[in-house]
Amino acid sequence: MANKKVDTTKLGVFMIAGVGFLVMLLYVIGKNQNLFGKTFAFRAQFENVHGLMPGNNVRFAGIDAGSVKTVEVLDDTIIEVTLLVKTKMKKFIHRNAKISIATDGLIGNMVVNIEPSKLPAPEVEEGDVLQGVKGLNTDEMLKVLNQTNNDIASIATEIKHTVMRINKSKALWEVLEDESLPANVRQSLQRLKAATVSINHILADVSVVVNDVRDGKGTIGKLVRDSSIALAATEAVDKIKNIGVAADSLSSRINGFVAGITSDVNEGKGTIHTLLKDETMAQQLRNGVGDIEHDARALKEVMEALKQSFLFRGYFRRQEKQKRERSGKGGKY
Amino acid sequence: MNTSENTKAFFTETGAISSFAARFFKQVYKPRFELNEFIRQCYVIGYQSLPLIGLTGFIMGLVLTIQLRPSLTEYGVEAQLPSMISVAVFRELGPVITALIFAGKIGSSIGAELGSMRVTEQIDAMEVSGTNPFKYLVVTRVLATTLMLPILVLLADAIALYGSYLGVNIRGNTSFSLFYTQVTGILEFGDVLPAFIKTFFFGFAIGVIGCYKGYHSRKGTEGVGRSANMAVVISSVTVFVIDLVAVQVTDILNLN
Repeated sequence: MANKKVDTTKLGVFMIAGVGFLVMLLYVIGKNQNLFGKTFAFRAQFENVHGLMPGNNVRFAGIDAGSVKTVEVLDDTIIEVTLLVKTKMKKFIHRNAKISIATDGLIGNMVVNIEPSKLPAPEVEEGDVLQGVKGLNTDEMLKVLNQTNNDIASIATEIKHTVMRINKSKALWEVLEDESLPANVRQSLQRLKAATVSINHILADVSVVVNDVRDGKGTIGKLVRDSSIALAATEAVDKIKNIGVAADSLSSRINGFVAGITSDVNEGKGTIHTLLKDETMAQQLRNGVGDIEHDARALKEVMEALKQSFLFRGYFRRQEKQKRERSGKGGKY
Repeated sequence: MNTSENTKAFFTETGAISSFAARFFKQVYKPRFELNEFIRQCYVIGYQSLPLIGLTGFIMGLVLTIQLRPSLTEYGVEAQLPSMISVAVFRELGPVITALIFAGKIGSSIGAELGSMRVTEQIDAMEVSGTNPFKYLVVTRVLATTLMLPILVLLADAIALYGSYLGVNIRGNTSFSLFYTQVTGILEFGDVLPAFIKTFFFGFAIGVIGCYKGYHSRKGTEGVGRSANMAVVISSVTVFVIDLVAVQVTDILNLN
């Protein structure tokens, strides 16, 4: 071992390679943590930082823009985070930018997201304090997801019961298996379509009528729109009212007249009483009618004797003949 | 030997090694500095160990990637494979495995070399000739192991990451640019610096223990073999003990 020849060049390369790798590694880490290059700092205040730590990444619209410098508690509701951001990103970050804390992926490190706003605002400056907004949090997401899962489970149970009831329904399956049903439905739809067309026509006609009425055309239109008819109707109503008054007067007069007749009849006065109540008068009338009947029969016998007499026989035959001719012509008609 | 004797022997050995290390610190600042011997030791211990360390590192990165992939695929985070390999290699696997290989190669080598020099009375001859054997043999070797192991670990890390890149692309298709971004993007100073610092302690311990065992070798050629063997065993265990202490210190200092 003591006789081995030392190649200092190889040793130098070996040393430089090792030290160079170390320097490069430290530089890259420092660059990732924004230790090199120009940066500026501004602050954001949150109610809860969800475990954010110094060194966590800061992203502007999803691009790595810097890192968290410090996390300090100002009071029981405000936690202030100082963000170290590359100076070249300064012109893109405005004071109305939305700053939130989120997780890098589902189980990754915490990151601060800066989302640009579309509304105009001045650029953020060194030392500015911006208000953080509540971002998506994995715990809250999981809570909501758990609630959603429970809801879905309840809905699935209901759907299961519904499907089971549907499967057990004989009537429904009979309807579904009825091969004539589609044709009937199709026919019904066609009829419905035709009915709809008819209804459209009717509605068009109705529309025309309504337009006519609105324009004062036709009887109904005149009734609705013509003010003179309304005036005449008012007059007619007045006249009808007058007639009613007159009818009332007449009625009272008739009542008085009837009351007078009734009084006369009851008191045995006047012609009506004689006709209705006097029995002697009735007997006389009955006798008179019996006499008239007797005289009528005697007259009929005389007429029969005249028909048999040669003096008047010809006259009665001509009368008969004319009567038949009249009746024959009437039959033709 | 019973338990009490073993315990006593353990503490005696520990005290002797500590005394040996203290002697190193006394000698290291005193002239005359054996610069040529130090450079020669750096070449032998550092450069000539690179092929073995590099091969070990390459296989470590490749195998680790292939072994981790199924588990990560099962959890749906296969894309995080480069990041995980990066942290694992830089924080723990690179330093510890390299130190163990280094202890096996260099610890045994130093133990056997100094042991044979001791049993052949070359060290005694150096003392008689006016050369400080401790300064010439021990200080140069301990310094070389202390400074070369960190370099070897860094290069082993780099080679392991290359092996990992090949491993990632055996069953996937990841560009070198994306791999580089993922590997460096996850790293922080807390991942690299504590691991880098502890490699100095690993190297120092391996050098001191190897030199101690060789320097105090006894009983002829049999003792040389035992010295080489014990140098490897004790330095390997010491590497793990230092690693344990280093993790605790980093945790207390909140550097994790």
